[in-house]
Amino acid sequence: MQFSSIHHFVCRLVSVAIISTGFVQISGAGVIGTQQMIDSEARQKQLSRVESFLLRQDVADQLIDFGVAPEMVMARIQHMTSAELAALEGKIGEQVAGGDALAIIGTVFLVLLILELVGVTDIFKSI
Amino acid sequence: MNQAARKGLANLCIRASAVLVLFIVGSLSGCASLPQDAQQYGDGATPIELSETPFFPQERYQCGPAALMTVLTQSGVNTTLDSIVEQVYLPGKQGSLQMELMAATRASSRMPYQIDTSLSAIVGELQAGRPVLVLQNLGVGWIPRWHYAVVIGADPINDTVTLRSGTNRRRITNTQTFLRTWRRSGYWALVALQPGELPAGPDASRYFQAIAALESTGHVLEARSGWQAALDRWPDEPVAMFGLANVELALDNFTSAEDLYRQLLDKNPNSVSARNNLAHALARQGKNTEAMQQILVALDTVKDDAVMQAELQDSMAEIQQIALSENK
Repeated sequence: MQFSSIHHFVCRLVSVAIISTGFVQISGAGVIGTQQMIDSEARQKQLSRVESFLLRQDVADQLIDFGVAPEMVMARIQHMTSAELAALEGKIGEQVAGGDALAIIGTVFLVLLILELVGVTDIFKSI
Repeated sequence: MNQAARKGLANLCIRASAVLVLFIVGSLSGCASLPQDAQQYGDGATPIELSETPFFPQERYQCGPAALMTVLTQSGVNTTLDSIVEQVYLPGKQGSLQMELMAATRASSRMPYQIDTSLSAIVGELQAGRPVLVLQNLGVGWIPRWHYAVVIGADPINDTVTLRSGTNRRRITNTQTFLRTWRRSGYWALVALQPGELPAGPDASRYFQAIAALESTGHVLEARSGWQAALDRWPDEPVAMFGLANVELALDNFTSAEDLYRQLLDKNPNSVSARNNLAHALARQGKNTEAMQQILVALDTVKDDAVMQAELQDSMAEIQQIALSENK
């Protein structure tokens, strides 16, 4: 337990270090990027540098929580746009993840229901 | 409890069960009818199958990496399944996120483009030789089973689609069934475009967004091919001209960037973004006085816009910096 929380802390620390150094700014200072131009015409909110850093940090932490190796995190998020990162902020748990996994509780419920209907179980009737 | 009450309760249970059975049968068969326009194959469509599409049978929970590997390889990317797994598989979710598939497509120098939400859009891509990555829910809303597969064929005569799916090299599915499973993902479908390749039925604004996403994530050369293709298709489109100009600026091609910003300003003299960036293109060529003049003209047009004023002031400071460093 002790080890696990230290491990977790170190992972986070590593991810902060990677993200602080790894982010490449494409346009020079003051140049208005194409995405920024499209967004401002669509009246979408512009992210400040600090906001966009925090956004990356949030998504990186979540990816680590969901089992991604810290050294892979930067490579995974650097190809995401700000809008994509914003959509994932605090929400990876709720995202659809294609992977064929079945929701077990739902299956158990269905089986029980069928068993109930053919008369094998009696769980849902109360007398 | 007396006899009558007992009987009443039993009756209620039977009725409730009957309703539940109807509900289950209804939701399992997806009895809501599909919209007409979503199920057309397209004008004059004939059976098609991209049989040379490679096949990567999936490991447990890894339909995302397998499906992405399929479309990337078909698009000419040389990579390995292990490397794709490292980029998109999320152990804690036992699956892959749509956004990570898009990001990994960019990482392979391909442009992820979400096609229109109709069968005819899939057929159009197949006719152009591109297999289509789709997200399906093979279960129902309340027992979801999310699955990525790749559509490689469609047959209007037998009313089937053919997929590379899971461990099945050629999964043939009734089209209605496929459309129901696909609808549950909001008809989410992706193609991997080579730089400069246009989708079969391009939506200008979605295509521009897709290129801008490449540009903002550092894939400048791929974005340049994209903007050039966009300008070939939609000449005089200001967003595409601005995009190409920005890419040229990022690649230090200052004179060609300057030309493009000027063309844009000829058509649309009030574009503050273009004027701001023109000033940068000028300053980087040592034309600092001219650059400053452009900023002043732009400042004059945005008196009520605090955000743009701040942008322009940043630019002014940057240009002064460039001028200072040149005078040293």
